[in-house]
Amino acid sequence: MISKGATWNSNSCRIKFARRFVSALLHMRNRNTRPGSLTIEGVRTHTQRIKIAAYLSMAQAVGSRRAWSRAVLSKHGSRARRHSRMGRSSVGLKKTRVIRSYPPGELGQAKKLRQLVPGGKTMDMCSLLEETAHYIKCLATQVKVMQTLADNFSK
Amino acid sequence: MDGRENEDVGFQHGGEDDLHCPSLGMSTNPLPEKISGMIMSSVSMYKPSNGADPFFSSGWDPLASLSQNQNFGGSSSTVSHSEFANPPYPIALENQGTSSTGQLVRYPSNSSFVELVQKLPCFGSGSFSEMANSFGFPDCGQIANSGCPQNYASLKEGGTGITSTNGALSRDDPQISCEGAIGSSPNAKRRKRASDSKNSPITHQNAEGELQKSLSRESSDVLKEPDEKKPRIEHSKGSNLRGKQAGKQAKDTSSGDASRENYIHVRARRGQATNSHSLAERVRREKISERMRLLQELVPGCNKITGKAVMLDEIINYVQSLQQQVEFLSMKLATVNPELNIDIEQILSKEIIHSRGGAGAILGLAPAMNSSHHYPHGIFQGTFPSIPSTTPKYPLLPQTVLDNELQSLFQVGFNSCPAVDNLGSNAGNLKPEFQ
Repeated sequence: MISKGATWNSNSCRIKFARRFVSALLHMRNRNTRPGSLTIEGVRTHTQRIKIAAYLSMAQAVGSRRAWSRAVLSKHGSRARRHSRMGRSSVGLKKTRVIRSYPPGELGQAKKLRQLVPGGKTMDMCSLLEETAHYIKCLATQVKVMQTLADNFSK
Repeated sequence: MDGRENEDVGFQHGGEDDLHCPSLGMSTNPLPEKISGMIMSSVSMYKPSNGADPFFSSGWDPLASLSQNQNFGGSSSTVSHSEFANPPYPIALENQGTSSTGQLVRYPSNSSFVELVQKLPCFGSGSFSEMANSFGFPDCGQIANSGCPQNYASLKEGGTGITSTNGALSRDDPQISCEGAIGSSPNAKRRKRASDSKNSPITHQNAEGELQKSLSRESSDVLKEPDEKKPRIEHSKGSNLRGKQAGKQAKDTSSGDASRENYIHVRARRGQATNSHSLAERVRREKISERMRLLQELVPGCNKITGKAVMLDEIINYVQSLQQQVEFLSMKLATVNPELNIDIEQILSKEIIHSRGGAGAILGLAPAMNSSHHYPHGIFQGTFPSIPSTTPKYPLLPQTVLDNELQSLFQVGFNSCPAVDNLGSNAGNLKPEFQ
């Protein structure tokens, strides 16, 4: 019972993500009525969408507490999509303004890490490491949930 | 020195002596200088002259230097000098004689020396002029030339009693003189020790007491170290980042640990820089090291790795692998047949139950419940709305998940029995679990 709190935190994250992800999947499947899954391109686009859905649902589950989740939400949010689809470059401009000002990293590894972690380009080393830790945790849960889903699907 | 004054007062010197005195005074050899000084001092008592004053003043210096080198001679000279001030003539002569014998002892035994030794004790009886002549100034040249000490045990005939006192006194002088020389060396030693201890890691709790003492001593001494900043190897707390080097060193009397309550209130640790920039840097470095440790725990298989660069590489690899897994799984999910929607709910419910912590018991019960396939749909539908009502203590999340399941189920419809049975069994099992 004492460890319930700790497990609850990770489980809440997992449950939230699972819920959102599954609902997103369902939503996608309901929308995608035409049988485009047979073609390779269809599968590829579907894969991309599922991937984005996974990241988005994870970011939504985390909320706006973390910088990386905020970055993901701002990147793949509905408004961002609308802007990109409409051809507006306002979001892109903002991005370029922000990206160039990232603080000088110690090594090339920090630069690589910044590229990997969403929103890591504008963070200093200290917060970058913190965000990386949380990001790794959430990524691990995401992978686990997706794994169970895929396993259950394949049965 | 007191002796100089006494000599100036009681100096009586003849012309001959003046001529010879320069030869004595100018001798560079310390041993003959000593004797010459002795002789001159003894002579000065009786033949003062102004011309010889500089000689005596110069003569005293070699005597003072000699006192450090030769214990016996120095003390004896001082004793003799102090004795010169005393009016009693025979005592002074006696002391002088003994001291001179002590000094003369060190010189190569010449016939003249032996004569001097023999003649000195009889100063009390003899006249001064005789004494002055008995010194054998021509022999002083020989004395000046001689430089090698000799064992004087054989020549110590008349002065054993007083030589002991002289010897006792002699210990003081060289001690005092040596202390002056040694005094400088302990400071150097302390400095060296402190600097060495500063260079060593700070976490040596045993050495802290010594450090404190040495540092306090240094603080008492007028040293420039508090203001100086020398390069040193910084010892950081993080185990991974011990190889880092800082460029500052400063004396720090406060031995408190660096507290990270506030950005401003960071106390400098012992032996570390107190510059504001370096303090902030150190705080930053410690934060980074702490986070690296957390990451080390998260990333599997990184317990043995020490080093920031390697650790960063591992972290990057791990994140990349996780992202690749996500992509692969999403592809897998994309290729799955979208018709099996209810399975998703089933999986989701299983997932939720897995996460509850009591998964073992429930899974054990679930197969048992699954055996009963003949769940009436009506009852099943009836139980669904009852779940939220009968379980008010449930946390909201599983309820919302169940609601989601309900919605999806109602939308999609019941296609497969096992899914329903599972849900029913789960619903049935959820009740006792939460109660």
